[in-house]
Amino acid sequence: MGILSILILVPILGAIVLALLPADNQLARRVSFGFAGVAFALSLAVLAQFKSNTFHLQLQERFVWVADLGIRYHVGVDGLSIWLVVLTTLLTLISLAYGFYVNVRTKSFLALILVLEAAMLGSFLSLDLISFFTFFEATLIPMWLLVNNWGGEKRNAAANKFLIYTFGGSIFMLVGMVAISAQMHHLVNVSDYDLVDLQNVAAAGTLWKGNLQLETWVFWAFAIAFLVKTPAFPFHTWIADTYAEAPIVGPILSSAMVKLGTFGLLRFVLPLFPEVVQTQAPILMGLAVVSILYGAIVAAVQTDLRRLLAYSSLSHMGFILLGIFSLSFTGIVGGSYQQINHGVTTSALFLLVGFLFVRRGTTEFSALGGLKSQMPVFAALFLLSMLASVGLPGTNGFVGEFMALLGTFESGYAGQFGLNAGYAAAAGVGVILAAAYLLYMFQQIFYGPNANPLNLRLKDLKPWEVSVVSLLVVLILWGGLYPSTFTKPMEASAQAARLMAINPVGSRPVWGDPSLEIDVEGSQPDRGALVKVDEKREIGQPIKALSVVAPSNIRFVLDHQVSTATASASE
Amino acid sequence: MDFNFAWAIPLLPIVGFLILVFGGKRLSKTAVNAAAILPLIGSFVVAALLTLKLSGLGASVPAVIGPDWISILSFRVPFELIIDPLSLTMALIVTGIGSLIFIYSTGYMSEEKDYSRFFSYLSLFVASMLILVLGNNLVLLFVGWEGVGLCSYLLIGFWYKDLANAKAANKAFIVNRIGDWGLTLGLFLLFAVLVSSHADIPDGRYFSYDTMLPAIQKALAANPTMANAIALLLFVGAAGKSAQFPLYFWLPDAMAGPTPVSALIHAATMVTSGVVLLNRVHVIFEFAPLASAIVCGIGAFTAVFAALIAFGQSDIKKVLAFSTVSQLGYMFIACGAGEYWAGMFHVTTHAFFKALLFLGAGAVIHAMSHNQDMRNYGKLSKYLKVTMATMWIATLAIAGVPGLSGYYSKEAILHAAFGSTHATVEGVQVGQIAGWIGLLTAGLTAWYMTRLMMLTFHGDKERWREIEAVHHDEHHEAVHSEPLALEPVEDPYGFYYPAPLEAPIEVHHDLDAHHTPKEVPASMLAPLVVLAVLSIGGGFLMAKDDAFEKWLYPSGLPVLHQSLEAADKLPVSTYAMGAAAAGLILGFLLYFRGLPAREGWDLSKWSPFRRGAANQFGFDQLATAAGVDGGRDLALGAWRGIDVWVVDGAVKGVSWLASTVGAVLGKLQTGYVRFYALVFVGGVICLLGYIVVVINQGVIR
Repeated sequence: MGILSILILVPILGAIVLALLPADNQLARRVSFGFAGVAFALSLAVLAQFKSNTFHLQLQERFVWVADLGIRYHVGVDGLSIWLVVLTTLLTLISLAYGFYVNVRTKSFLALILVLEAAMLGSFLSLDLISFFTFFEATLIPMWLLVNNWGGEKRNAAANKFLIYTFGGSIFMLVGMVAISAQMHHLVNVSDYDLVDLQNVAAAGTLWKGNLQLETWVFWAFAIAFLVKTPAFPFHTWIADTYAEAPIVGPILSSAMVKLGTFGLLRFVLPLFPEVVQTQAPILMGLAVVSILYGAIVAAVQTDLRRLLAYSSLSHMGFILLGIFSLSFTGIVGGSYQQINHGVTTSALFLLVGFLFVRRGTTEFSALGGLKSQMPVFAALFLLSMLASVGLPGTNGFVGEFMALLGTFESGYAGQFGLNAGYAAAAGVGVILAAAYLLYMFQQIFYGPNANPLNLRLKDLKPWEVSVVSLLVVLILWGGLYPSTFTKPMEASAQAARLMAINPVGSRPVWGDPSLEIDVEGSQPDRGALVKVDEKREIGQPIKALSVVAPSNIRFVLDHQVSTATASASE
Repeated sequence: MDFNFAWAIPLLPIVGFLILVFGGKRLSKTAVNAAAILPLIGSFVVAALLTLKLSGLGASVPAVIGPDWISILSFRVPFELIIDPLSLTMALIVTGIGSLIFIYSTGYMSEEKDYSRFFSYLSLFVASMLILVLGNNLVLLFVGWEGVGLCSYLLIGFWYKDLANAKAANKAFIVNRIGDWGLTLGLFLLFAVLVSSHADIPDGRYFSYDTMLPAIQKALAANPTMANAIALLLFVGAAGKSAQFPLYFWLPDAMAGPTPVSALIHAATMVTSGVVLLNRVHVIFEFAPLASAIVCGIGAFTAVFAALIAFGQSDIKKVLAFSTVSQLGYMFIACGAGEYWAGMFHVTTHAFFKALLFLGAGAVIHAMSHNQDMRNYGKLSKYLKVTMATMWIATLAIAGVPGLSGYYSKEAILHAAFGSTHATVEGVQVGQIAGWIGLLTAGLTAWYMTRLMMLTFHGDKERWREIEAVHHDEHHEAVHSEPLALEPVEDPYGFYYPAPLEAPIEVHHDLDAHHTPKEVPASMLAPLVVLAVLSIGGGFLMAKDDAFEKWLYPSGLPVLHQSLEAADKLPVSTYAMGAAAAGLILGFLLYFRGLPAREGWDLSKWSPFRRGAANQFGFDQLATAAGVDGGRDLALGAWRGIDVWVVDGAVKGVSWLASTVGAVLGKLQTGYVRFYALVFVGGVICLLGYIVVVINQGVIR
């Protein structure tokens, strides 16, 4: 068993151990911390083994799960998922730290967090449609239970809304998967859900056989599932209720979980629907712009801190969508980088909100105000996290948003994919609005007179609380001052995802062909181009480009069944 | 001295900032002063030595390139510094005037509880400003640009317990962000134009001045439309930061910050960033006559508009704020006219005399126990002799009295405007019009500044003796007057103190017969004197033999060559002197007896013009109402319309539908769940059916 499977299994094991333990909160906390710590260490080990100069999937493990249906367990990691894996394990640790303040059914609470972690890791690592779907759906149950059992007053309604929305969305994806499988069945006479195989035939232009109508429908079936998860307008209304009613770990973990939406678009939608991604891009970009603006203006009139941050998430996730569907290299790197940034920043903000919530039992603005002199350290940490959300240069939020917008403008100016410069100009207004609602938020909590007698007695944050948040603040500044740490591993995969979607048949990168590479090292004109390399080269070795790939004459290395079938189909 | 030492200029204040942040309240006042002022003086010395070296070389210096900041396949942005006359001039202004204002602040803020917080913000500001002027690419410029905006926000809201200050801070940041939107779009357009013209950019440094400007020059020569578009977008950014119409209205509110902040940030340095930007990318503006004409026109309008508003202000700092807006307009007239150096010249001299005016006003405010209304002043010359003398020097300088610094830079600007062929649209010489408006404004400036000086220092009586004693109870709200009823709180984690923290009651002396205004301490007077010397001699020295122009643009402009013959025909200098004299005389005649009744406390006696000027001719109210109230209505409407109405509507519809369909479907948990389940099942069936049909069709074909 490889490291990725162990990584997924460790939290599950932790949850089982927790279930068997006696009801001792302190012990449960230590045990859960231990398992999550091991998972975090493993994710760092994966990161250490990760090679940045290839777009190919690394550390792959594959075995048959349900042979008759062609379902496999297949995991692997690439530049798009590597940082999301680390983010997930890190945010789990942080959520468990917050578990210090949960005293009701603590054991189950911690166990559910670990189950959620495993499901998220499984989703980020899966390369088989069915095993992805299984993990993807598996995230819903622990989250639903967390909201339903540990949430606020209207927790039941919020939990149901969350479940129905996301479950409802993913039904469409299931249908889409069945459709893809049926297409494959026609091609090769066996069911095959393996993403690597599917992408091979999709790149060769044989998966959809020119049936654009079907491709478009299945594209939207996938897209809707991911847009609900992201969330994007108009599939967003679950997020405000969920974030406002969930226990604070809900939004913290959710800030990793919602990345499944945007990640899913990068992982599955760009590679599998090359003919329609470009034609549908303007619609998705439109939704992204509406999400950005709508989320921002609605955030500005919220009277509750958590609801405000929920709508701000809608707005900020819009920038990620925008970057991805700009289909420019800069935009896709910006979008994928912004996924990490948003995860870090949002969880820092929610963690701070949580620390306030355990003290005051409310996050309504009417109960707050004037806390800056009362809790200066809290205010300083909050300010920094908020500025990252505002997108101030020097923080990670700036770099991601800048690249996403720059990429959008680039595509728009060139008039590619039916886009124009208006998308970037309109989305840029979201940056102005972000300042408006976030400064309003800061003012409501920290400025003005401190008149509430209870607030006048508040102590500042405890040292352990400060150190947990500081960890995230360090990441905010690191990401803002030296983003290359995070963007370098993404570049080859981001470029590959882009070329898979926009190149014509014959010059699309293929995960199944080790002789194709994205040149991230070469001289200036070739940098980022798809090149032919020595086939025997192992992943991670320096790239020696034999030739730059011209848009024809690419041999597709397929799974043996697929290749024979393709051959017979083409005869 | 090696040019790599330039790194020390922005880094030293950052070190000071870090010491102040992590030291916090543990630091003594002396330690705070040392951590704030010594690094700044260090930066000044380095900047001065580099200036000497550069002026000795007589050649341009390659960029000092450090480690990469953002680096992806498509572009690269390193940390890098540009060492040229423009960057060093600004660095000298920022560190030099900054040092003086820091020293002044040690006196002005000496009773402040949050002393180290104040200086930490100031240090961060100086560092950001230095990054803005020294950074060798537009992205680093943007880092400084937003960084100074942040510090401005923090310092305007420094006394945050008063919500009005916090709101002024928000306003400043948000209005600046509108400008930043234009600036970023300008950056994007620049990038896109370079990419689409297949410009050869070494190392992918698309935003660096040394690689980008020559390439954009080639790209724009063939594409004047894009030159105008880029120039206009960048000017939106400049207008936000430099408070040009219609984005000026944050600056007067920014006076809510402590006065040294107003002097440093909102007069001498940050607000001139727009002019620095235009000088930096002047090549683009040289290709953009339309954009330049707009810059020139907006500058002229802002100059006269703000000058008129200044007549309606009673708050001494507000007068100076509008004066700053007006003078910034002047600088943009020069930039629009194509004489970029003249804009920078005025930036420099304005930094001297406007900082001096603000610091002088601060001294007056300090002496008057934080009373800022000039209607409460009068005859202060008796008590504040040094302050009065230095402020008169600054007033004469800003009025444009020959020999003083303001005269030279204003004359350069008017000369530029009258001689401009660049700022011409459809045959209309915008430069000429701006020149006449500039002359008018020069007269108005001399007039309202004399009004300020006469109302403050002269007149027939000491009006402050009539101030009614303020009851201190009003300051310290009822919270402290009676012991709070302590609610028992369940507190297993130790979140609370047993009792509310006592807020220290600030000792506050109002003026009366026993407390007359006193001249401020030496730490505050010394900067005034130094600035007064600069205000007198600075202009003359820099104007001599066109020294400043030749220093900034040693080889002239690369593209734009315009003759200044038109200006040579007009006796611009004579006109400028006449305007200044007229303004001074009018001001003196109208106000030498003190506060006229038509400008007194009874607003109904004010003339309609002055009442209009007092509320900025309604513009601020309009903009704020449209932005804040209109925005809120729109947002509430959208939220209620889409989220609440659609969802509530769905829920209501669902419960109705569920109660009807429910009987058929049997007992599921809630009607809500049931309905969604139904819809999704139905949808899935339809989709499955459709797909089956489509696939079958495909097979049959």
